[in-house]
This record gives sequence, structure tokens and C-alpha cells, in this order.
Amino acid sequence: MSAFQQGMAPVRAMGDVDSDVEEEALVADYKEQVQYGDEDLGELDQAALAQAADDLQARLVQAAQPLDFQATLETKFQSYDNYCSLFHYILNSEGPVELEPPSYYWAWDVIDEFIYQFNTFSTYRARIARQGNNEEEAQILREAPNTWGCYSVLNVLYSLIQKSQITEQLAAMKRNEDPTLVAGPYGSKNLYRMLGYFSIIGLLRVHCLLGDFSLALKTLDDIELNKKAMFARVMAAHFTTYYYVGFSYMMMRRYADALRMFSHILIYVSRTKNFQKNAQYDSITKKNDQMLALIAICVAFHPTRLDDTIHTALREKYGEQLLKLQRGGPESLPVFEELFKIACPKFISPVPPNFDQPESNIDPMDHHLSIFMEEVKTNMFSPIIRSYLRLYTTMDLRKLAGFLDVKPDELRAMLLVNKQRTKQVRWTEGGLLEGEWVNTSDLDYALQGDLIHISEAKMGRKLVDWYLRNLSRTYA
Amino acid sequence: MASSLNMNGEDPIERPDQIRGIIGGLERYNPQAAEVLEAYLAQQCEEKFCDCNANRALLKLYQLNPDRIKDEVVTNVLVKCMTQFPSPQFDLALHLLSPAHSNPGPNSSSDLAEAVGKLRALNAHLEGANYAQFWATLDNDNDDIYADLTTDIQGFEEIIRVRIAQLVSQSFREVSVSVLESWLGLNSEEEVTKFATETCGWKVEGGVVQIPKNAENEAKKTEIREDVTVDMFSRVIKRSWEETA
Repeated sequence: MSAFQQGMAPVRAMGDVDSDVEEEALVADYKEQVQYGDEDLGELDQAALAQAADDLQARLVQAAQPLDFQATLETKFQSYDNYCSLFHYILNSEGPVELEPPSYYWAWDVIDEFIYQFNTFSTYRARIARQGNNEEEAQILREAPNTWGCYSVLNVLYSLIQKSQITEQLAAMKRNEDPTLVAGPYGSKNLYRMLGYFSIIGLLRVHCLLGDFSLALKTLDDIELNKKAMFARVMAAHFTTYYYVGFSYMMMRRYADALRMFSHILIYVSRTKNFQKNAQYDSITKKNDQMLALIAICVAFHPTRLDDTIHTALREKYGEQLLKLQRGGPESLPVFEELFKIACPKFISPVPPNFDQPESNIDPMDHHLSIFMEEVKTNMFSPIIRSYLRLYTTMDLRKLAGFLDVKPDELRAMLLVNKQRTKQVRWTEGGLLEGEWVNTSDLDYALQGDLIHISEAKMGRKLVDWYLRNLSRTYA
Repeated sequence: MASSLNMNGEDPIERPDQIRGIIGGLERYNPQAAEVLEAYLAQQCEEKFCDCNANRALLKLYQLNPDRIKDEVVTNVLVKCMTQFPSPQFDLALHLLSPAHSNPGPNSSSDLAEAVGKLRALNAHLEGANYAQFWATLDNDNDDIYADLTTDIQGFEEIIRVRIAQLVSQSFREVSVSVLESWLGLNSEEEVTKFATETCGWKVEGGVVQIPKNAENEAKKTEIREDVTVDMFSRVIKRSWEETA
């Protein structure tokens, strides 16, 4: 019954012995980055000032700068053209360009900002089409269907990945070989390697925004999610990666894996929050709350023991909602909707909207939400069923149907649904999509005609985790 | 590869190399690849296997190139996904459709949107284990749309019936013939007996179907204990060693 045992292990993996040591190193590393970050920036500003405005180095810095929130349509178009010409220069010059990235996180910032602008542009365009009351902008957008087009964004990301041969490099690293041997003329340059690497994470995000959750996870096949990963050195990248991976898992009904992702990153954040800078911390707090909401959803689908830190934070932030979710039934449906809306990515449609029929443009979020809610509805009686079954070792189906005030046929369906959902694909090793079928519940039952035989796995107390945590707390 | 054990119908062994090449590389974005994937879907429908991963690549091409959408291909993909119940396959395919097709507005007059709506209703019965309602909806005489939608999928009803039987065997040790009859969409005790004995190899006695023991329908009692290894304490031990040294 080893699968079963795994099923009940706390979300934080116990076998991961080195992980704490690594994590500590990482925390220290991050602390350093934050402390020295300001000086870096200062130098950069001076350097930028000292050189002419059309200097390439300045353009690199510029590409990583966020666009003003209230930027006009013209600015957005302009920004798209800037990215195109910059990426064109980087990708299509004769041979690799001799440029050093301005900083370690520059490559991440560029890809992040590029996708963010693509995301907000698509959302904005859809809104103009839906509202149908700004004919002037609608006309501009109608005439430029390829600006911030999905194909061109994907093209940039895939080209950066190919040019840098980052996939080959990562595969070599996985085999413990020297990545520089397979890096090629481009990939051996810092600029290309970093852009290629973060483009993979960018693809994860774009696929997720378009609703292709399995392809999103597939994209990360070459990246090993551990604290040695390159993304882990850039806090925002670390955070983003786990959010999108976790979300994709959730949409694939792999709740145990989703919880593992969210828990990992939230614990990490809670350890670093004391030295976050304010602006960055604000955006992290927002994502933090989103992930707590997603944890609430996942735990409702897949009851499990959470890490103490997370459990406390969850109860503080969404205590009331969590109770409703865990109770199930039709009353829980609006809460699922509410939390999903708070926490989901800003989904977009890959094609331009129909400007001529405003009402035909449905918000992609409503689309994905409605599909998700279908599964929620299918499962909404499971918590009630489980709470009753726990009280008995055998039970007559008709009697239980009487308690629940449902027809025997309806109860049979609920029992089948709940039993079928206790089996989940769960990651053990390899790519993120890999996994094994495991039984994830401590409650099991089988029917003999109308007689339900129930067995509950007895839990011995789990002490090691608690003991270790308190030891480190005492001696820290 | 563990992936064959992954989600139902995700990476079948029948997948040819050509398809593997398309979905594993950039070729999956080439609008021309749609034709190859469409032919492959037709093959799946004929030969009764399912490659949801490749079919999603096809839906993705439609997502990016809406002018290429073929209504009957989209519905065939959905019906193929449906045969994998319970699984997220159907939902994953739906997520790739345009909202206008899966969640049409009130004034929509699209045939595809209507068909997708019908299939969603049908799929909800399977996912919710309301098997009797599934057959009732499918056989509804006033509505031959379901017959049209499933006609390309060879042996659709039989595939569903076998899958339901398999799921029943994972939860039941005994089940009454009348319950099974409604779940399998059969019309008489004889048909149920025939299906249970010949297709499933079960015994039928006095109106009750006996299902042999398997890992799923036993519901054995277990006790979960914590495995404690020295490794778990390595950090504490290391630290105490370092501090005394």
C-alpha cells in the first residue's frame, strides 16, 4: 500500500532532505540580490545617461521597463514595434550580437514585460470590441489584426528557445554533462542563453493564458523544478513558474500536484518576505493571495493535510470560504466561482475579436470558468457523502439516501463519482505531465448490492515533520 | 515510459511517428498539419483508439486559424474525448474551443455551438455517473442530433458500455440486474446477462450480478504509519555536529 501512504503524506515532501539546505542557500542568495539590487540599478542609470539615447544597451534596458498603465493605443503599438525590432536584431543579425544583458534578471524582465503587454493588449482589444462604443479605436484595432498577434508572440519565444539551443543545454545538464558543448555560437552567450531559458517559462504562461494547460506543462519538460533551477535565482520568475504550473495542474484535475506547487512557493515566500522591497512585495502579496485561493479550491477537491504555515494563512485569508467549500452542496458553488475569478490568470483569446458583433465576444474567463464549474458541480456532494460514510463500517444505501433526502439512484451516482475521483494521476519523477495513478483518499468503500462496506485507513500520528520543524525553530 | 499510464487516451501506442513529429515540434503550428491530424482523427474513429493529445494539437490549430474549423471534426474530437470518462480529456478539449462555440451568447445561431452544447450535456451525465440519463438522452427519439454527432465514431455505444462496466467493477461486488440494465442502456434481463457473462466474464445468479474481487472493490482496511529514516534527521545531526566541532 505504498501508493496509499504517499497519498497521505503531508504536502511538503519529507524525503527531500537536501531541500532545506538548498533553500537556505537560496534565501541567502536572494537576500544578497535585494540588498545590492539598488546599487546595480544606480550604476545602470548612470551608464545609460552617459551614453547616447539610441545606444543598444539603453534599448535593452528600455525593453524591460513596464509600460505605463494608462498608455495610449498608439504607445502600445509603438511598444510592439520596439519589441519586434529588438528581437529581430537579436535573432536575425549575422551571427550572435555582442551584447551583455544589463543584469541577471534583465532577461526575465524583458520576457515578462513582453508577455504582460501581449496579455493586456489582448484584453483591452477584446473589451473595446465587447463594449462596441469606441468606434475610433475599434477601427484602428480592426486594421491591425497582427499587432500583438498570437503567432508573432509565439514565434519570438520559440525562436529564442531554438537560437539559444537551451533545450539541448538543459538536457545536457540533466545528464550531468557540460552544457557549453552543445550551446552553439548563440547559446554560449549569456544574452541568448538567458532569453532562451526565460522564453520557456514565457511559453508556459502563454499556453496557460490560451487555455492549453497540458501543453503548458509539456513546455517545461526540460526544466527541473528544484531550487537549483536557473529561474529560482530570480524571485519573480520562481514565483510565476509555480503559479502557472500549479494552475495548469489544477485544471487537469491533478490537485495533489497543484497543492505541492502552491505550497512549495508559498513557504518559500513566507521565508523571504521580511526582506522584500515594497513595490515588488505588493505584486507578490497579490499573487500570494491568489494562490491561497487556489489552495482552498484544491483542498476542497482533495482533502489533505497542509503545511502549518499555509493552513494558518489560508484560514486568515479565506477561512469562511474554505468552510463553505469543504461543506459542499449547491451553497458552495458561488464560493468556487468567486475564488476562481480572484485567482485565475487573465485568460485571452488567440484571435482578434469580432468588432461588428459586440455581443458575440465572450470573455474567455467566463468560458474557462464554466468548464471548470462543470467539474465542481459533478463533485459537489462528495464532501457530504464522505462525512456520512466516515461514521459507519457498513451502511444500507436506501437508509443513507433517506438521510440525505435523495433517491437511491442519485446516491449511487454520487458514490460512484466520489470513488472515481479519489484516484488521481500524481507526479513521481520525470516531466511534469508524467505520473502514476494513486489512491488519494483514506476513505474507501465498495458496494454489495445496496450494502455499502466502508473502510477508513487509520492514521498513525505523523511526528517527524513536526519534530524537525520545532527543532529548527528552537535552534535557529 | 510512464506516460502511457498517464491520463486515459493521452498517448496511445498506436500513434505513428509522423504524428509524434508534428505534435512534438513546431510543425504543430503549421496550418497545413491540420489535414494530417484530421486524417489521423478519422483513423482513430475507425480503429477505436483515442489520441487526445494529438487531437488537442488539431483543436489548437483551429484555435489559431478559425477559418480552418470543420464542425464535424470538432464534434468528433469531443465525442472521442467523451469515451475516456471519467477524465479531464473532454474539458481540456473544450478549453481550446472558442468561447463563441462552447459558451455562445443568447443570440447565437451557430450549428457548432448547438452541437457542442448537446455534447456537453451528454458528457456531464457520464462524468456525474448518471449513466441511465446518458442513455435516455442519447436515445431520445425526438432528437436525432445525437445519432448524427456520434455516427462517425465506430462502436461508440459499445465503447461506452464497456467503460461503464469497468467502472462498475471498481466499486461493486454485487449489483442487481435491473440497476445494471439501466446503466448499460440495455433493454432486457437477457441482454444484461449476455453482456455480463460474455463481455465481462461475470456471473449472474437470481437477478444479481456477481463481480469478481479486484484491488478496487475490496475496500480493505489499512493502517498508515509513518516511515522514519535516519536521513530525515541528517540536517539536525549535521548541525549538532557542526556546533560542537
